[in-house]
Amino acid sequence: MNVHKVQAGYLPGLERAQVQWHTLAFEQDGRRLEVAVPVLSAPQMDALAERVRRAAARHLKPMPVSDIIAVIDRAMARLLDRDDPYRREADALLPLVSGYDAEMVRLGLTGFFKTFRAPQLHRFVAQDFANPKVLDGFQPAAKGGAVRAHGPRLLAHSWAGNVPALALWSLVCGLLVKAGNIGKLPSAEPLFAGWFARLLAEVHPPLADCLAVVWWRGAGDAEAAALYAQADTVVAYGGNDALHAIQRRLPVTTRFLAYGHKLGFGVVSAMALDALKAPALARRAAWDVMRYDQQGCYSPHIFYVQRGGQVTPREFAGYLAGELANLQRRYPRRALDLPESAAVAKWRQSIEWRLPAPGTEGAADHDPLIGDPAAAWSVAYTDDAQALAPTALQRSIVVAGIDALDAVAPAVAGAGAYLQSAGIAAAPDELYRLAEQLGAVGVTRVSAIGSMSVPEAGWHHDGRFNLLDLVRMTEIEQSAEAAAEPFAPYEP
Amino acid sequence: MNDAEPLIADILHFIAQDGCTDEQFDRLALRLFAYQYGANAPYRGFCQRRGATVRTVKTWSDIPAVPIDAFKAMELRCQPPLPTERVFMTSGTTRADTRGRHFHPHLDVYDLSMTRNFARRFMGDAERLPMGILFPDETAMPNSSLAHYLALAKSAFGDPASRYFMSPRGIDLDGLWQHLEQAERRGEPYALLGASYSFVHVIDALRAAGRSFRLPPGSRILDTGGYKGQSRELPLDAFYGELSGLLGVPRELCINMYGMTELSTQFYDSGNATVPSAKSGPHWIRSRLVDPATGRAVPPGERGILAHCDLANFNSVSTILTEDVGQPTREGFLLLGRAQGAEAKGCSLAVEEFIRSAAP
Repeated sequence: MNVHKVQAGYLPGLERAQVQWHTLAFEQDGRRLEVAVPVLSAPQMDALAERVRRAAARHLKPMPVSDIIAVIDRAMARLLDRDDPYRREADALLPLVSGYDAEMVRLGLTGFFKTFRAPQLHRFVAQDFANPKVLDGFQPAAKGGAVRAHGPRLLAHSWAGNVPALALWSLVCGLLVKAGNIGKLPSAEPLFAGWFARLLAEVHPPLADCLAVVWWRGAGDAEAAALYAQADTVVAYGGNDALHAIQRRLPVTTRFLAYGHKLGFGVVSAMALDALKAPALARRAAWDVMRYDQQGCYSPHIFYVQRGGQVTPREFAGYLAGELANLQRRYPRRALDLPESAAVAKWRQSIEWRLPAPGTEGAADHDPLIGDPAAAWSVAYTDDAQALAPTALQRSIVVAGIDALDAVAPAVAGAGAYLQSAGIAAAPDELYRLAEQLGAVGVTRVSAIGSMSVPEAGWHHDGRFNLLDLVRMTEIEQSAEAAAEPFAPYEP
Repeated sequence: MNDAEPLIADILHFIAQDGCTDEQFDRLALRLFAYQYGANAPYRGFCQRRGATVRTVKTWSDIPAVPIDAFKAMELRCQPPLPTERVFMTSGTTRADTRGRHFHPHLDVYDLSMTRNFARRFMGDAERLPMGILFPDETAMPNSSLAHYLALAKSAFGDPASRYFMSPRGIDLDGLWQHLEQAERRGEPYALLGASYSFVHVIDALRAAGRSFRLPPGSRILDTGGYKGQSRELPLDAFYGELSGLLGVPRELCINMYGMTELSTQFYDSGNATVPSAKSGPHWIRSRLVDPATGRAVPPGERGILAHCDLANFNSVSTILTEDVGQPTREGFLLLGRAQGAEAKGCSLAVEEFIRSAAP
């Protein structure tokens, strides 16, 4: 077998031989990748945290935010260049660790990196700060006095999941607010964050010590505690149990920003269902299902499709199945392990038991599972406004026929805290009416169908302020300003 | 109902035999399949969607395996309900409507299957032993197949000194210590049977009291069912190490039974000197390892989801698909845990977390 070995993480100030290494192995199609991830002792973590915090105070803090953006932009230009060694490594190894189709990963990465170029980043900052210069120094406040934003001195990240390069979001946020950053790699994708740190240090050497990328087993032990003790803010991704486990270990004064698992869905109005538009829409819907095999927080689990259009909801489900079959040929689903395969089978069979037996009247028209049971995708059809619940993922999707768009909000309301993205295909007035209803029950992002899995730059992840949530404001009140005046040397 | 009787008689006869050939197993499996296919409409539909009919099913491994979830979703039965029937229900969930149910018009087949197998796999040379049962009795848990199994063990294989040590307040530890002391004094072999988690409580109590026993040679232990969140989780090796050390029963005589409400036959290992130990069943049950997505067998030697064809399952379906991951061995299979509850690999919500969040 062809074995490839790489070293992950990024540890400024620590020699390779000084730390312990743990090997994570990934295998696919006879290729084996061994990723060595660093396991630090508590004192090492302590020293690393100290180093990163000091370096950020020294090098990052004085950099105008525009300069930081320029540095990230240069790094992105490298990552968008298919011949750059970093990009070549990403294209070669991320499919191997994640199991996703190589072409799907390549497309996904390009789309993702594009949202971190300079114009997008400026927009990102402007989205949260009416005057981005508050990140650089005191700016006059509308109410009087002056105001300035300070990012955390040390921001700890706990990444999760195997959607490639996801760490980029929080790392870029941390850089834009000039925090020192230490991130913990997810075992499922332990590569990208380290590469990005190294690339950044290459592009702008003074940043070399301003970030570090580490790993620990499970919820971590003393080394994790050492990092959490020094971080003033912790941003974490993962399931609620994992998030809760982190939260319990944090001092009450540490700000904790948790991004839990989410449940997306789509809505298709009858207005979008004429013979011309429906097939194209189904194609875009299939893309949202296909991207990263529905592992994103924005991925749809169900499409609510309104009756009354030229194309019926059931026909739409048929189109969607056809498009998923097409996409399977171009971007095959990743190979499932036993538990995943069992979960998909369980989900399919739970639907199957509701079927009338074949041969009973009309059974074929009411078959709620479309397509071959062995296919690498599943479309289930139901005639009612089924409550939003997770499918088995891995390209399994429900199409639910509804009479009125107003039925959607009650159907998803039960999933309250898990809501995030809704993809909508509807006329403008319907869009606003739906967005009003869906926002009220917890939806934080409405996108076009086909764009669900590619959030635009500057989106408010889970309805929060990506950058504002990271900073604290220092205000000089008018009273202080006024009181200072008499003490000026030029005053009589 | 009467048309099932010759079949049931043949099943009883088959179990009473001392073994069977592949042809004999196939013949009875196919007859049972034809009967269940004809008598159970939802099962027939399930088979037809997989292209399996009485004509295309040629051997026991062609019989479509029904996922155990189906026992929750519907009444899988061939004979109409009877006032005298026994219903065994799965545990593990608080909501009654999502418990799997297995309907037994009578327990003749179940009991013969249990006793034939138990005698050979657990009793060794003994006909009867004094038994201690660490599980509620059938009156307390009329719908528990394990309660019935243990009651049957006690009535068919226990001597008059056998008794239950389970009360509504938990294990009667003082009573248990007395009986164990007595067994030590008399030098007669003793058998202790119960749920795995009950044994964890016994281990903890012995540790807390700083006590241990040296049960006489020939004594044996049967545990089953895992911990089910009822006790702390002990790794298998530590579990049998503690059991053996604290009760003086060699690990070779600490037997684990693997059974399911959805089956009428149990699997046993031959002791747990090393773990995980291989499980195997008697001649009237056969197992295969499948890929759950396709229902097809995995390549030889590879791990897969266990599907069992149990000829004692005459009233439900002979062949079920479990949620247990198995690895084939020469003696049988290793149990590698449950495949249920795939974790999401990304940040999309997985079914398991959603269900947990909805649970009271």
